[in-house]
Amino acid sequence: AADKIHLIPQDFFAELCEQVIQHLNHKIPGVNTAELCQRIQTSGVEINIGDLAKIANILSFLFSTAARNNLSTEELVTTLGSAVSTLPKHAVQVIRHVWTEQGKAIAVSEDARNIATVGQFVDMKWKLGVAMSSDTCRSLKYPYVTVTLTVADPSGQITDKSFEMTIPQFKNFFRQFKEMASVLETV
Amino acid sequence: MAALRDGEVAALQILLKAPSKDAVRQLCQECFSSPPAALGPLAQRAGSGLAVSAEEAEQLVSALHNLTRHVVYRGLTRAEDILCLFPENFHQNLKNLLTKIILENISAWRNEAQASQISLPRLVDMDWRVDIKTSSDSIVRMAVPTCLLQLKIQEDAALCGNNPVVSALTVELSKETLDTMLEGLGRIRDQLSAVANK
Repeated sequence: AADKIHLIPQDFFAELCEQVIQHLNHKIPGVNTAELCQRIQTSGVEINIGDLAKIANILSFLFSTAARNNLSTEELVTTLGSAVSTLPKHAVQVIRHVWTEQGKAIAVSEDARNIATVGQFVDMKWKLGVAMSSDTCRSLKYPYVTVTLTVADPSGQITDKSFEMTIPQFKNFFRQFKEMASVLETV
Repeated sequence: MAALRDGEVAALQILLKAPSKDAVRQLCQECFSSPPAALGPLAQRAGSGLAVSAEEAEQLVSALHNLTRHVVYRGLTRAEDILCLFPENFHQNLKNLLTKIILENISAWRNEAQASQISLPRLVDMDWRVDIKTSSDSIVRMAVPTCLLQLKIQEDAALCGNNPVVSALTVELSKETLDTMLEGLGRIRDQLSAVANK
């Protein structure tokens, strides 16, 4: 996937690096790969989300390793080693620039958030709807709740998962969460 | 369809050959539940029980499927509405039997129709656990309560046929994110009450 880097226009590549650094700095919960991919595709570049995700992972590994070892910009570029010649010049430039500006700020922080082994909940969006009619029932009037959970997976990629619940299911869902919150309080 | 078509009327009369009322009841239920694509095999099974030709069995099964689906689609709940779907000269006892069977099943069938309509993936199960993180490779001692939630989500039943795909989504929530979630859910609850009161 590294060779796909040359497909990404410079400003999008810079944005990707920015998001990776901000994620490592715990300023954002993850890299919004899906959204970025869509914008890149809209600009006419053919890149798929899998490749973009791999590139994000590579950058994340690069920056976090550099942070742990306290590398200066020049040392970082040296680490890229032979890859420097295969990477497009603008990519190396962006990496250099982003690292100089923000690299030192990456505190390899002693933080509980670093231990991510499962997806981290980011956000929830919801909708309450009533299905009025369908091919099986002309007059349905069936209420339901639609929820979209935004989750940052362990590698930092943000994905959405949507699902529906009936009203009784929703009531149970809510009750369970209240239970979880009260247990969390007392623990 | 406003009323039964002629071919369907004739086909339904084949039920007079059924061995028992229960056999008719069972066939009605199977014909309702079966998707159009599975009517063929159902007709074969039904035909052998009724000692009719394959073609007659297909017409019967199709007529019953259309009749039962029509009743559910239109939301008919009264005996009079169902009885007037049949023509005047239709066999009285059979007409009454079919109406009775339909009325018995109508609410279960309506639920079935609602459950199988197109939808986003559905939540089928949820499990959770509260943990305390006590240490890690980077932090020797801490006491961070955290919540692990696993949601089992079933993809659209209509797309998966008899083998629905269930995926598990495991998510970690901190106290803050759990509170965000609760706030959102509380708002849904408020909306539901507001809508229910209208």
